[in-house]
Amino acid sequence: MGSGLLTAVIFFPLFGAIFVLMLRDERAAWNSAFIFSLVPLALSFYLFAAFDSHEAGYQFVEQYPWIPQFGISYHLGVDGISLLLVLLTTILISLSLLYSAGGDIEKRPREFCFFLLALETGLLGALLSVDVFLFYVFWEVMLIPMYFLIGIWGHGRKVYAAVKFVLFTMLGSFLMLVAIIYLVAAAKQSFGRLSFDLPLLYQVPLSETQARWLFAAFALAFAIKVPMWPVHTWLPDAHTEAPTAGSVILAGIMLKMGTYGFLRFAIPLFPAVAVEAVPLFLALAVIGIIYGALVAMSQPDLKRLIAYSSVSHLGFVMLGIFALNPQGIDGAIYQMLNHGISTGALFLLVGMLYLRRHTREISEFGGLWKSVPIYASIFMFAMLSSAGLPGLNGFVGEFLIMAGTYLRSWPAAAFAVSGIVLGALYLFWTYERVMFGPITHAVNATIRDLTGREIAVLVPLMALMLFMGLYPAPLISRLHPSVEKMLEGVRIEQVRLEREHHRDALAQTIAPAPKIGVQTASVK
Amino acid sequence: MSPFNLAAINFAWLPILPLIAVAIGAIVVLLAGVRVDDDESEGLGWLSLATVAVAFVLALGIVGQTGVAFAGAISVDGFSAFFELVILIAAAFTILMSLDYAGENHLAGAEYYSLLLFSALGMMLMAAAGDLIVLFLGLETMSIAVYVLVGLRRRDPRSNEAAIKYFLLGAFSTGFLLYGIALIYGATGTIKLAPIHAALAGPMLSNPLLLLGLAMMLVGFGFKVAAVPFHMWTPDVYEGAPTPITAFMAVGVKLGAFAGFVRIFLVNFGPASIQWSEVLWVVAAITMTTGNLIAVVQTNIKRMLAYSAIAHAGYILVGMSVATPEAGAAVLYYLLAYAFTNLGAFAIVVALERRGTAGDLIADYRGISTRSPALAAAMTLFLLSLAGIPPLAGFMGKFYIFSAALRQGYVGLVIIAVLNAVIAAYYYISVIVAMYMEEGGANEASMARKPALVAAIGLAAIATVLIGIYPAPYLTAASNAYNSALGEQAMHAAALNQ
Amino acid sequence: MNVEFAALALILVFPALGVLFNTFLGPRLGRRAVNVVGPGMMFLSFTVATWAFITIFTLPAGSALYCPLWRWIEAGSFHVELGLRVDALSGVMIMIVTGVGSFIHLYSVGYMAHDEDYARFFTYMNLFALSMLILVLADNLVMMFVGWEGVGLCSYLLIAFWYTNPQFAYNGRKAFIVNRIGDAGFLLGIFTILSALAHHGVWTLNFTEMQAHASLLEGTAATAAGLLLFLGATGKSAQIPLYVWLPDAMVGPTPVSALIHAATMVTAGVYMVARLNFLYMLAPDAMMVVATIGALTAFFAGTVAIVQPDIKRVLAYSTVSQLGYMFLGVGSGAFAAGIFHVMTHAFFKGLLFLCAGSVIHSLEGEQDMNKMGALRKHLPITFWTMLIATLAITAVPGFSGYFSKDLILEGAYESGHFWLWLLGAITAGITGFYMFRLIFMTFFGESRVEPDKLHHIHESPAVMTIPLIVLAVLATVGGWVGLPDGLLWGDAFARFLSPVVGNFKPAVAASPAMLSAVATGLGGLGILLAYVFYLRLPGLPMILAWRLKGLYDLLLEKYRIDELYNLIVTRPLFFISNQILNRGVDQFVIDGAANGAGIAVEAGGEMARRSETGNVQHYAFVYLIGVVAIVSYYVYLVIH
Repeated sequence: MGSGLLTAVIFFPLFGAIFVLMLRDERAAWNSAFIFSLVPLALSFYLFAAFDSHEAGYQFVEQYPWIPQFGISYHLGVDGISLLLVLLTTILISLSLLYSAGGDIEKRPREFCFFLLALETGLLGALLSVDVFLFYVFWEVMLIPMYFLIGIWGHGRKVYAAVKFVLFTMLGSFLMLVAIIYLVAAAKQSFGRLSFDLPLLYQVPLSETQARWLFAAFALAFAIKVPMWPVHTWLPDAHTEAPTAGSVILAGIMLKMGTYGFLRFAIPLFPAVAVEAVPLFLALAVIGIIYGALVAMSQPDLKRLIAYSSVSHLGFVMLGIFALNPQGIDGAIYQMLNHGISTGALFLLVGMLYLRRHTREISEFGGLWKSVPIYASIFMFAMLSSAGLPGLNGFVGEFLIMAGTYLRSWPAAAFAVSGIVLGALYLFWTYERVMFGPITHAVNATIRDLTGREIAVLVPLMALMLFMGLYPAPLISRLHPSVEKMLEGVRIEQVRLEREHHRDALAQTIAPAPKIGVQTASVK
Repeated sequence: MSPFNLAAINFAWLPILPLIAVAIGAIVVLLAGVRVDDDESEGLGWLSLATVAVAFVLALGIVGQTGVAFAGAISVDGFSAFFELVILIAAAFTILMSLDYAGENHLAGAEYYSLLLFSALGMMLMAAAGDLIVLFLGLETMSIAVYVLVGLRRRDPRSNEAAIKYFLLGAFSTGFLLYGIALIYGATGTIKLAPIHAALAGPMLSNPLLLLGLAMMLVGFGFKVAAVPFHMWTPDVYEGAPTPITAFMAVGVKLGAFAGFVRIFLVNFGPASIQWSEVLWVVAAITMTTGNLIAVVQTNIKRMLAYSAIAHAGYILVGMSVATPEAGAAVLYYLLAYAFTNLGAFAIVVALERRGTAGDLIADYRGISTRSPALAAAMTLFLLSLAGIPPLAGFMGKFYIFSAALRQGYVGLVIIAVLNAVIAAYYYISVIVAMYMEEGGANEASMARKPALVAAIGLAAIATVLIGIYPAPYLTAASNAYNSALGEQAMHAAALNQ
Repeated sequence: MNVEFAALALILVFPALGVLFNTFLGPRLGRRAVNVVGPGMMFLSFTVATWAFITIFTLPAGSALYCPLWRWIEAGSFHVELGLRVDALSGVMIMIVTGVGSFIHLYSVGYMAHDEDYARFFTYMNLFALSMLILVLADNLVMMFVGWEGVGLCSYLLIAFWYTNPQFAYNGRKAFIVNRIGDAGFLLGIFTILSALAHHGVWTLNFTEMQAHASLLEGTAATAAGLLLFLGATGKSAQIPLYVWLPDAMVGPTPVSALIHAATMVTAGVYMVARLNFLYMLAPDAMMVVATIGALTAFFAGTVAIVQPDIKRVLAYSTVSQLGYMFLGVGSGAFAAGIFHVMTHAFFKGLLFLCAGSVIHSLEGEQDMNKMGALRKHLPITFWTMLIATLAITAVPGFSGYFSKDLILEGAYESGHFWLWLLGAITAGITGFYMFRLIFMTFFGESRVEPDKLHHIHESPAVMTIPLIVLAVLATVGGWVGLPDGLLWGDAFARFLSPVVGNFKPAVAASPAMLSAVATGLGGLGILLAYVFYLRLPGLPMILAWRLKGLYDLLLEKYRIDELYNLIVTRPLFFISNQILNRGVDQFVIDGAANGAGIAVEAGGEMARRSETGNVQHYAFVYLIGVVAIVSYYVYLVIH
């Protein structure tokens, strides 16, 4: 069954990782790691091209029994929701490798490549798994390489950051594991057989309480990963201390695993609870948007600032997801890509600056435009994309999200809109302090502008920002059918809920009736 | 029946052939070692390894057979076969670790290896016990041998201290166990497991004698598996004992003890599970939590692993408390996974130790990843498996036990368990931090001239990954083993009822 | 009748090419190339625009040219098609943008002759033109928003063009942020319309389709949308309360002030209201707000302009004031009049700024009118053109401003806003005063120019004066397309626009002659006062300023609105951001909780470890506790 294409996409990086580990020469290690990362990139482009944009279900499916005792199977598939994230992953990993080879990573390059490629396997696996157990395995696997990337090649309080990152995530994912097992147990009771197959689990009938608790467990795990306010504090530390490539992957892809989890698991598994939880999550998302932006504003460290901006941007994504309508969710998925690209670019740019000045303190800079115009221009470009300027990718996502949100609840949209003002505020203020004004530190006058390699890393991202801003159709058309499919369950629940409200309303209007009866009785 | 009945002989003796092989091997080693100098004990090591190999083959021979031998004194079933095999593997690994270690530390080779084999014998006997007396016999054979092994580093006061502590408290608990056996005999009028099992069905359940007996046996086993609050000896003993012996205790003794524990309680006292599963619920919770909490603040890797061993006993007790066939199988699988992972971890500790116990501090592990990456990688693998990270063996074990527990609605206990797992992750990871993210540390001995140790580590690593990634056959083996024990009981119950 | 007209795309393509060229090749190929390409692309765009405009003209009234581009955003039933549309309204606008734009580009060649960053300058200028044209040509709200934010960005880039000056950089950001606040409102406006229509199953933001379904927007939706969109307009077009950025924007190069902050961008709001006239007609309350804000802004800004010493600041506030007029017009329903004023204002205000630029240029950057005077003989062309522009803005009969302003005031009066009309009329007087104050202080009286600059004052080069002359002509005759009814061709302009913005329907009868007499009279009065104050009795202003010090300072410090905003918005925002959220909530509460948990675990472990005394008796004791516990449990079982 299946073409084996997805298996190739997932495990090619792992082979590459092991291969690289066996090389002696460091140059060779960098090059071969990069080449190995190009293969899944090419394959995922093929996936994108060969993807049938009218098919809502899984494509390129592979399924083989793995642990029959538990009804666990090696079940892979790609649909509109995961397709683009796969593409994003392969792109960002390749670029990170290309960049890191340029002097950003000096010590232990072989292991660096190993962990980065192993990470890619984890990420792609989690995105392409249809079997929940398989998903959980990859979900945990991706944790470890990232932990090493932060802990070994990070800066400052790297160990603290790395451990904090692991423990925060583990807390969530262990609870999710319990939920998964419980869900499967419930499935056995209703279907008489053990199975971790997602499509089957969608069908599991659950009592209201069961569903609530299970949703809570899933939601917590994913909310930590996103991260949603208030479980976000691992993120600024991890982002800040991680090496540039680490931050890029962390912000670019890993956070999306949380939002992806909501779309793939938390919501479709428990649509009724999801519908109930809309107000809560809209509120948390809005808080995240505003809170993230406000806190970002007063960060003295460039990376920390961008980290908090991620909290704000991911707030938008969550907002779109819990708008629970096509506009919102299409926008949310699109915004996941945007955030990956623009924030990835920003982290790369900050990394390049750090490479030259070995500091990220905003106060250390000023007037950089004079000394590094190309750098400053590209930074401006990435910043505008991040600020959601129409014509660049960010706008399309934010617009759809807020449109969807408005259709769901206009107050939420009204609050969220303040996010675009605050976003502009902290970004432009930062830009002003770093690039504009006179050169305050003599060193800044002499730093060199971007190298060819660095430009080569950034240009693809800028091209994507522009393309995705001007012509999103081919991407959205691919993801939309799957979103509609995913929303079916939700729609049913909404209808049911409305009916109940209606019934309650009726009940209230009818309620007085017996009283009247009593009165008449007394009259008699 | 006439002793010339070959079939009878075959069947009577076949089941205990592995035991006999080990016993003979132990004696041979002892005799052969009389003239051997402490520093050249390696030959004895190979000899005992050969013994284990032979026993292993013989044990394979009884796989799939069921029945009783020696008038029910010995149970012959997949259960005993399973445990005997795993115990022998543990012994083999221990010997591989010891080959260089024993010489370097001038341990009396003859005593060392023969006692090792004797204790293995005791464990196997516990696994195969068909009545309470044989069980007790096996327990004592195992324990006494281990008491001595712990103290075998004669010149090291910590070793002696450990031996004394272990012996005192061990004797203590032996008493409880024996008393428990007596009480149960008093209650049921038999020491044979099958009849007891049969008897438990019925009014017997609330018989005070029986209950007291249960309590006493719980205490006895609780000590051997190092369950809180009978765990206090563990860290001191693990720290003081020669490291391979620590490994053997952490794995072998646990295997033996749990073999008995599971057979007595899960299998034979199964009908009375309502009378003890609650106790185990509490004990499991306390054991996990205490073990993990204290492990967090350890600075010595052997003590840390000791507490981690306590915590893992806690996870296994979760499975026992659930007391369903599935849970039983889960416990067996967990023990298997845990055996390989833990043996590997201790093998690394042995490898990184220099003379005596120097290099046992977690601080000594700093920067190993740069000096000997392979070791660091292997250790990482074992630690992650212990932490329960997929797709490693340790994770599958936890997964199996948790699913069994949740299937029975043990949500609370499982939540406690996963919260513990998070704490555990913290201290396992702190070792990885030391190995990969900190500089300095002492220079450990080169591995070049220790092929046996390397082999042990390598095999353990492969097993840890394999059992995790492709668990299907091992899951089957575990559940078959457990079910065959159950089936046998059912058969006997039926027989008795007629 | 709608005609497909693919060439419309060219109007955008040329500036776009300019942007690309100036970005990548400009710095390499050097100044000459940039000087040709920068303005050149605008003139090409201008020719195409003219072609399109003439085509419109030749077609029957009410027809439009369109050029579909591609399907942009699509999510379920919601979709946005990109498309260009030129009808009478956008036709006028593209003529203004490309026409005035071209000449200001040309002027810039001279003005930026000594700046080494010329390539970047023309990149931004072309980019601005591109965005502005997108805004104008868009056939739907979302695409309009693209231009809407684009021009905001360019304004930011150009205000902060001389970025090494932190103040300039700050002003640039201020402009962008204030605009973004407006844009947020604009977005919500879009969503309000979207959801209102979507409720009836109509998913469109296309202007013509919206107009077709306008009836669905009846009521609160229309009002809400109208107000929210107008919030956007107050940002872009510098109306109360979001006008604060425009005066500060004057730190940009003067051609920028002329093109962006006078002629084109700031009129986007007016254009938007006119474009959505069908929506606003449904929302009388929103219209009322628009008109009122307009009148108030006109008056308020005018008063501030009276006392400003900086020549560009005077013009800036006058711009704000004139924009107020335009909103008064469209708010009163006289959409054509509003757009008419947009056009004339583009001519004379653009011209005024360019003249001011020429003056500043000749005085090497001097902007303080107290350091000018008697310049008319040094800068004859500048003087005469500026005088014409001033006559136009003060609405001296015959000059362009006269016709447009009259129509607005007439509209205000006839739509029943008597008080607003009065405010507007008074503002006309104020305008006369401060504009002629500017003329007198700059070109008449005795010279107060600093001696070192005095000897090399020189008239600007032809490349700068030619645009002045062209605009001067337009500032004079530009208004003649909208003569009072009955006179010659009458109000041709309004007739031309009527198919798009509809005809003005008076609610109150009035004699236009009377109204215009009053306004013009007040204007004349203002001029007279200025003459008295600044030529006849030059001492008088001082004395008055001293007598009415409080008032004078209040005006000089622009009613201290910036300080107020600083106090109630900016400072609290930063305080909340850093002290409360960053330090308080994030680091102390949330992270504190997280780390607290960790510390708790370690503490627990530490305590538990204490029990490990190493003393075997203790071990035995704990052991026994366990025994007792278990045994007692079973005893309990037995008893029960």
